[in-house]
Amino acid sequence: MEGKIIVITSGKGGVGKTTATASIGAALAMENKKVAVIDMDIGLRNLDVVMGLENRIVFNIVDAVNGKCKVQQAAIKDRKIDNLFLIPASQSDNKNVISPAAMKNFCKELRTEFDFVLLDCPAGIEQGFENSVVGADEAIVICTPEVSAVRDADRVIGLLYAKSVLPKLLVNRIVPEMVARGDMLSHEDVVDVLSIDLIGLVPMDDNVVISTNTGAHLIHNKQSQAGKAFRRIAMRLNGNADLPIEVPRAKKGFWGKLGFKRGRNK
Amino acid sequence: MEDFDSQTSDKKGPAAKLKGVGDSLWVTVDPDRSEDEIKEEINNVFQRLNHLAIGARVVIDPGKKGKSNELIDLLEQLLKEKYQVGSVSLPPEVREKQTNAENRIRQRDLDRSWYQYSSDVLMLTGRVRSGQKINARKHLLLLGDVNPGGEVVAGGDIIILGNLRGIAWAGQSGNEDSIILAFDFRPTQVQIAGYVAAGTSEASGKNPEFAHVENGTIIVEDYIEANPFGRLPWPKVR
Repeated sequence: MEGKIIVITSGKGGVGKTTATASIGAALAMENKKVAVIDMDIGLRNLDVVMGLENRIVFNIVDAVNGKCKVQQAAIKDRKIDNLFLIPASQSDNKNVISPAAMKNFCKELRTEFDFVLLDCPAGIEQGFENSVVGADEAIVICTPEVSAVRDADRVIGLLYAKSVLPKLLVNRIVPEMVARGDMLSHEDVVDVLSIDLIGLVPMDDNVVISTNTGAHLIHNKQSQAGKAFRRIAMRLNGNADLPIEVPRAKKGFWGKLGFKRGRNK
Repeated sequence: MEDFDSQTSDKKGPAAKLKGVGDSLWVTVDPDRSEDEIKEEINNVFQRLNHLAIGARVVIDPGKKGKSNELIDLLEQLLKEKYQVGSVSLPPEVREKQTNAENRIRQRDLDRSWYQYSSDVLMLTGRVRSGQKINARKHLLLLGDVNPGGEVVAGGDIIILGNLRGIAWAGQSGNEDSIILAFDFRPTQVQIAGYVAAGTSEASGKNPEFAHVENGTIIVEDYIEANPFGRLPWPKVR
């Protein structure tokens, strides 16, 4: 079976592309798929740090695309998950060293090697975006419930359609309490504007920062709501498309519940 | 008002025709006919008028071809002496133009000219996303939405059957009559013929709203209540 190449993009920076790539990649690998996560942000690599693999880098994506090494040499095996591989970005080059044509060929090679390839797209819509999208089959557009993120996601969706890549929406960093108060856009508002298929809703979670800093996998953290959401997204990508999407709900405290039962909750 | 007028300049038609225009009598003469024929026809018509002709203002219209002043003078003499009309004059230029325009519109209504009308409207379906721009030479009709950051620009009107949340510029040809209409009117900015207005974040009601220029400012109104085209006497090509 040919592998699937999924680009994870957003337009806006800092919405959680890298975290999502690492977590969804890890979750897919846990489902016994051979997965590669690729950092496309040449010059500003992050994914290796998030996964705690920075000290193992020998070759990088630029070497692999330009034929200086084999895919197997550039792919670094994860410390904990056997089926998960990272192809890091180059820190010293700039984005123009890879051409879209070379990237397209490289994607063909990746398809034979892996079941799933996740491309961590850089922010913006320049050369780095072009390179990431050119070989992709599908896209996950990450958007936070902010108007600026929605605006950029909308632009990116237009560009993805123009390149006939099918986009799916992931709404990240939802704070249910703020949505309930009306201080934050709800995921319905976001979907209303972007009007593409939803693949998952991920709540705001402090565990993300902790696991990012320690290089541990978020999905291994049993307490993490975000980790759970990413696992469900991976299941949806892995053929279980009908898995219902869970909407993050505000947790009610003990007193809140009591008040609710006595009809005094306001 | 009796209307003896007809658009055809048929040779077999009467040599002179009479109709009431405002407070004066409008006499159209066929300059291709002989003076005698014209005189005879005028006598026919004015004899029927009897005392109504006394003191009346008469306009003699020799048609587009024009005719020597001799004929006009002759007819003036005849009318003043025989029927005691008040004054005789040639049709004013402007007046003639207006009448022609009136006739043309009336004619158009009867012909249902829009049957032959080829459209100036760019009709699209879908969603205009951030960073996309639609340019219509004349009117734009969009079955879909305009997202924040999307732009729609038209020489004439912009009609959006959906949400308008982006930028809409209508009347780029300088036409201040242009309107911008949307089911859910929440644009970032609207512009009509050079007048700019910052958008509203909330639509005021459930009904479709439209923006138009009134006294040099852009005004947004409920389309159903304002019903701007409801009072036109008949359907008209825009």
